[in-house]
Amino acid sequence: MNRLSLSNRLFITVSFVLIAFLSISAFSLNTAFQASADSTQQKRLKNYVYSLLTAAQFTESGEVKMPDTLAKPEFSLPNSGLYALVSDEKGTVWRSKSLLGLVIDPLLISQNTETEHYSTIELSSDTQVLNLAYRVIWENSIGQQYIFIFNVAEDLATLKQQKMGFERNLWYWLGGTGIALLLVQLIILRWSLRPLNSVANDLRAIESGLQQRLSNDYPTELKQLTKNINALLDHEEFRRKRYQNSLADLAHSLKTPLAVLRSDIQSTADLQTLQQNSSKQLKQISDLVHYQLQHASTEGKTSLQAPHNIKDIINKLTASLQKVYLAKQIKSHIDIKDDIIIHADEGDLYELLGNLLDNAFKYCRNQVKVTVEHHEDVTKIKIEDDGPGIPSELHKDVLKRGRRLDTQMEGQGIGLAIVGDIVDAYQGEIQLSHSQTLGGAEIVISLNQ
Amino acid sequence: MRVLLIEDEQLIREQTCQKLQQKNLTVDAAADGEEGLYLGMEYPYDVAVIDLGLPKLSGIEVIQRLRAAEKDFPILILTARGSWQDKVEGLEAGADDYLAKPFHYEELIARINALLRRASGWAAPILKCGPISLNPTSQDVSINKQGITLTAYEYRLLHFLMLHTGQVVSKTELIDHIYEQDHDRDSNVIEVFIKRLRQKLDPDKSLNPIETMRGRGYRLTLERSSESTIS
Repeated sequence: MNRLSLSNRLFITVSFVLIAFLSISAFSLNTAFQASADSTQQKRLKNYVYSLLTAAQFTESGEVKMPDTLAKPEFSLPNSGLYALVSDEKGTVWRSKSLLGLVIDPLLISQNTETEHYSTIELSSDTQVLNLAYRVIWENSIGQQYIFIFNVAEDLATLKQQKMGFERNLWYWLGGTGIALLLVQLIILRWSLRPLNSVANDLRAIESGLQQRLSNDYPTELKQLTKNINALLDHEEFRRKRYQNSLADLAHSLKTPLAVLRSDIQSTADLQTLQQNSSKQLKQISDLVHYQLQHASTEGKTSLQAPHNIKDIINKLTASLQKVYLAKQIKSHIDIKDDIIIHADEGDLYELLGNLLDNAFKYCRNQVKVTVEHHEDVTKIKIEDDGPGIPSELHKDVLKRGRRLDTQMEGQGIGLAIVGDIVDAYQGEIQLSHSQTLGGAEIVISLNQ
Repeated sequence: MRVLLIEDEQLIREQTCQKLQQKNLTVDAAADGEEGLYLGMEYPYDVAVIDLGLPKLSGIEVIQRLRAAEKDFPILILTARGSWQDKVEGLEAGADDYLAKPFHYEELIARINALLRRASGWAAPILKCGPISLNPTSQDVSINKQGITLTAYEYRLLHFLMLHTGQVVSKTELIDHIYEQDHDRDSNVIEVFIKRLRQKLDPDKSLNPIETMRGRGYRLTLERSSESTIS
């Protein structure tokens, strides 16, 4: 199954969050509005009660008289939606004109002992009203108390309409905003993920050979990635060139010994001389193949190389060489801090150090010393022995032998030439000198990290 | 001395066999890892030469299994790639020395002789016991610097005895180490060879270099000369 694309993942999650957010805000806004509408109506009812109380005239005998016309004309219009009713302990004492033809059971609404009581009453099958029963105690001049209940009721239909209107508006607006936000989000996603698409396009172009490397104008987050891909591509190109060069060099340099062999075979009559000559040429051919193979397979410096603990590699190599040169009873002094690491190809490190250590073990009397120091991004590998050393006039030639194999030097392998080649591939430095401590050869390799 | 050679390349195998036999070494050759491992487990070898790239079972694995079975004869590995990682891997697995292909037969024989000497505690390339001296490279044997001529099997016998000076060596052991695996064996032949060796090494019967231990075998009684042993 294909994994969901990044833009789909983002779109789905962000849409989900957006919809959830909008729904929750709609719900809470609506709830808040309903509550505030309810409380407004209650306040209005209370104001009506106060205005009725102001208009009412209480007599000494405990009766209440209401004027014919009230400030709010709705009280006087039948079925207006605003109703009032005053009752005392005995029953209804006054009904507003708007209540004509409607029945409100005063008992239903006057039972309460609270001063204010709100209730919803069904006047008829399709009319609901909110009723406020307000209790007042009238005390006449001689201290007799009379209890009256003022009921004011208002039709709920208006409020319901208001609420519905608000809800509808709310949904329209939030829905519209939601859709608009989703669209904007889609555009933002497209825009911000476009660099990824262009990486993919670039890579396709490289695959089909239209382009050499990735372009450079990528956002910071992708820079490291594209930089590394480019480094990898450059390294591939470097390797390809190296292979090509090795192959060309090999083919070219094999021609000389092959030509010599051919002429020897044709012209040398003496079998023993022929054997001697040809074995010399064969050795040269074999060295050439070995050197060029090594040259071609050297990885060289790249930015993506895993770190290797140099002490581990040197320990492994010296343990192996101790075995091979067991008869020499060689003392090896290894002075390396445990945590020195080198970013290089493991195979290259093995070839580099293997050849150096092999030479040291081969030519030493019985002591070899390896020191590795790391100082300000430069790793210095020093290998010393107590052998005869390399004469200083040969220092240059030893390292270049691989490139000029026709200059034969007896007794020296091509090990150092390979070492020089690997050090070149890492843009490092190599120095040959005399060891101060052991008296033999000293080789220092400096590698930039 | 008996050598186990495991090499898949037919031409190299046959030529190496021939070259080693010319140097009076007893050689059993195997063409793949499995066969080589079987031989190594079954027969008492003095040294093994193992190519790393083998069919069926890799050279590294053959070495590891031989070492796991406590076969402690020295092992020389041959590597075609010659990379240091290969060499280290082989030596870590239990090999004692390596040789990169292509190699000179002289080099191979010198390495084999060095391993044989090392395994039996000899340091110098020429084995010297009292007046007798044996050069495994040239196969020259001399007494008091007077060269003598030995037949192939006499030489093999003396070489083995000299690498095991002071030890009692049974007839079966001698047969095992001087004859190839498929050779027709006859233990009486050993007695004949010993007799001839005594005649050639000690014509006036003053030296008595080879002692007969009744029912147990033979022993070379001469001391190794001091400079030629590993301390």
